[in-house]
Amino acid sequence: MNPIEPTLDDDGIMDFVASGFVVLESVVMETYNRCCDGLTAGNCDDLVGSDNFTREVLLHPEVAGVARSLLGVDFRVPRGGHHHFFQEPHLGQTWHSDGLSGRGYDVRELQCYYYPHSVALEDGPTMVLPGSHCRAVDREAIAHYGDILGQVSLVVAAGTVVLTRYGIWHKAGPKINDRPRSMIKFSYHRQATPVRDWHAAEGDPPPYRDRPRFPYVTEVESYRDRVRRMRTWTWLCGLDEEVELRWEQSEPVSKLNHT
Amino acid sequence: MQDTVRAWLDECREKLSKGAMCGGDLDRLEALLDQQRQLVLYLYGKSTNMRSPLASWALFDATQAQEPVLPMSEPPYDSVLAAVGDGWRVVQFPIAKLYNYQGQENDYLGFEFVLEKMV
Repeated sequence: MNPIEPTLDDDGIMDFVASGFVVLESVVMETYNRCCDGLTAGNCDDLVGSDNFTREVLLHPEVAGVARSLLGVDFRVPRGGHHHFFQEPHLGQTWHSDGLSGRGYDVRELQCYYYPHSVALEDGPTMVLPGSHCRAVDREAIAHYGDILGQVSLVVAAGTVVLTRYGIWHKAGPKINDRPRSMIKFSYHRQATPVRDWHAAEGDPPPYRDRPRFPYVTEVESYRDRVRRMRTWTWLCGLDEEVELRWEQSEPVSKLNHT
Repeated sequence: MQDTVRAWLDECREKLSKGAMCGGDLDRLEALLDQQRQLVLYLYGKSTNMRSPLASWALFDATQAQEPVLPMSEPPYDSVLAAVGDGWRVVQFPIAKLYNYQGQENDYLGFEFVLEKMV
């Protein structure tokens, strides 16, 4: 088998560190999307573990390229998955994070959503909250949250794959029609020790270049986010460095030429 | 509830002018007053200050059928204070001492105001 080539560069990795997700629009071929028609809801291990799904989705150069970029060499490829299927109108799910992975700053698992059909706002698209992937919460204790400033409804074309850091807040959005809505969920996992071996420029890793604050984030949360992003960046680069907030527009006093 | 009571007042003023008001009208008023229902509105300020901009919002309205509605990208008010100006009553304020400042992990959305309106 040919090696999987990483596709993200430093900026792509830094974007993911901040937002917690990557959207690959319409990457799966329409002929394969149609092979998923008629799939029943629930467990779909047979489909996800099949040779065709592995080739057309899981090892698609763009999809696997992002997984390789974020999880290192010889990442684990899913052999099973779940088909989230809705047809009748519904209120939408409540906000939740999956598993116990809401905290920490490593990247060990990518939970992915594949959409074999296009999804419109009225179809009840998956919603994600950018930057929420490291918020340490009890998933049942965020169920009363409604709309959140900066939330993203994944209104996508058929064949889109979204890769998220496990733990990102998400939900199925409200659905107001009876058009079938499919999403196939599966996860990649890391095996390798982290090292900056993605599609990176030569030389030493640059310092993390911070991304804008998300609209729902408060002032103190933005400082914490910045520290957390720097930690994730240094972890992914395989650096053993403690990070700290520092006002960048300053110099050591010994470097100043003064009289 | 206020709207229905106002309608009752309009109707009864007219009846009163014609001398047509009766005990049944008062029974109807009593029934209207017993029909109060609570609307609950969660608003998440970006600080404990009621003038702060909002980060999140959720309305729970048991007087309506529970039908799906599309997500909103903008809050219904600019601030908690603006909601109070529109007739909402605050029933829970965020308590600063409950916000643990230890460590550097973000967790829940802050700062949770719970408001009610009786209808």
